[in-house]
Amino acid sequence: MNFDLDILQINPAEETKKVADFVTNQVYKVFRRRGVVVGISGGIDSAVMTAIAVRALGKENVIGLILTEKESNPVSKLYASTYAEALGIEWREIDITPTVESVGCYHWRDEYIKNLIPDYNSDCKYNITLPTDLLDRNAYNFYVLQVKLPDGTIKKKRLNFESFRTITAFASIKIRSRMIHLYWEAERRNLVVAGTTNRTEFILGDFCKYGDGGTDIEALSHLYKDQIYQLAGYLGVPAEIVERTPSPDTFSLPVSDQEFYFRIPFDKLDLLLFAWEHRISSSKTSGVLSLSEDAVNRVFRDFTTKNRATDHLREMAHTLS
Amino acid sequence: MRELKDKIRTFVVENFLFGNNENLEDTTSFLEEGIIDSTGVLELVTFIEEEFSITVEDEELIPENLDSICNVTAYLEKKI
Repeated sequence: MNFDLDILQINPAEETKKVADFVTNQVYKVFRRRGVVVGISGGIDSAVMTAIAVRALGKENVIGLILTEKESNPVSKLYASTYAEALGIEWREIDITPTVESVGCYHWRDEYIKNLIPDYNSDCKYNITLPTDLLDRNAYNFYVLQVKLPDGTIKKKRLNFESFRTITAFASIKIRSRMIHLYWEAERRNLVVAGTTNRTEFILGDFCKYGDGGTDIEALSHLYKDQIYQLAGYLGVPAEIVERTPSPDTFSLPVSDQEFYFRIPFDKLDLLLFAWEHRISSSKTSGVLSLSEDAVNRVFRDFTTKNRATDHLREMAHTLS
Repeated sequence: MRELKDKIRTFVVENFLFGNNENLEDTTSFLEEGIIDSTGVLELVTFIEEEFSITVEDEELIPENLDSICNVTAYLEKKI
């Protein structure tokens, strides 16, 4: 199969129509609801989804929920609300902090982190990161907890299996709390919950089971992140959203999607993913992308393990029959 | 070396293969065969750190040291 640097180029007008037609069909014919609700994060995926939903259904049938939490990046609300106003949709901010707190999490989380880094207190910010040099070095995906003290000092500790699972389980509570509010809105107002997961995230498993993966439709999950950017340009998504570094926005210390999950720069990630999905040889891929074959093989192996480990995210619950 | 290998094999079989020893050679790649994924290797690291009283440094968290029974054994022989 052909593989070159332009392989991900799409016709944004045609793709927008295709996605809009899908949304219209799903909402009116399959689900028989009156519109959609979208969790708008101030990021590019939700901006594109919302813009296409407006084209598909009309602004009066698109509801935006800005689901902030006490540790969210403040620009999330600013960018999301500004664009929602520009699109003319009904939108509302919901603070999900009480929802998260109701599970008893923040205090418990703080105690847990303090056991790992004794200098930690509730005035500190934290995140977890992976080594971001997968193209340069062969290393496992081990997470490092980073705590920023009030004086700006960064303390670090590598997470073992148990602490990694625990900290990500807490982060998932935030993401699932957003889902609760989206479905509360959708069910009482006869709406469909429109997800915003793109193909890069979908195939590699960068979404939360029954969190941002808990939706009715995923109209963007066939599009690589690079293609989302192409649509954003066509749709006129504001520059500050397009230029914003993609982030999960679930940790109090900002972390990019690359640092948290992908470990590869975005300018290479989607092309490598396309090559892996379409079984392009590592030698051909390395030539096109000007990478060593070793680097490509490392990445392909990482994709295989991530995809395999996250199969359960893309499946229905397993049953006997 | 035999004793090291046996301990590692027992851990992998009990925790990742749930008692099924079939097809696990000393040189079988954990990653390629899907026995241990890239994050699950942290369980193996915790085991060898506790069992053999060593510290696996960040730069040592590489497949060359951890991706098969043979690799782990060779790594431990250098560390212990």
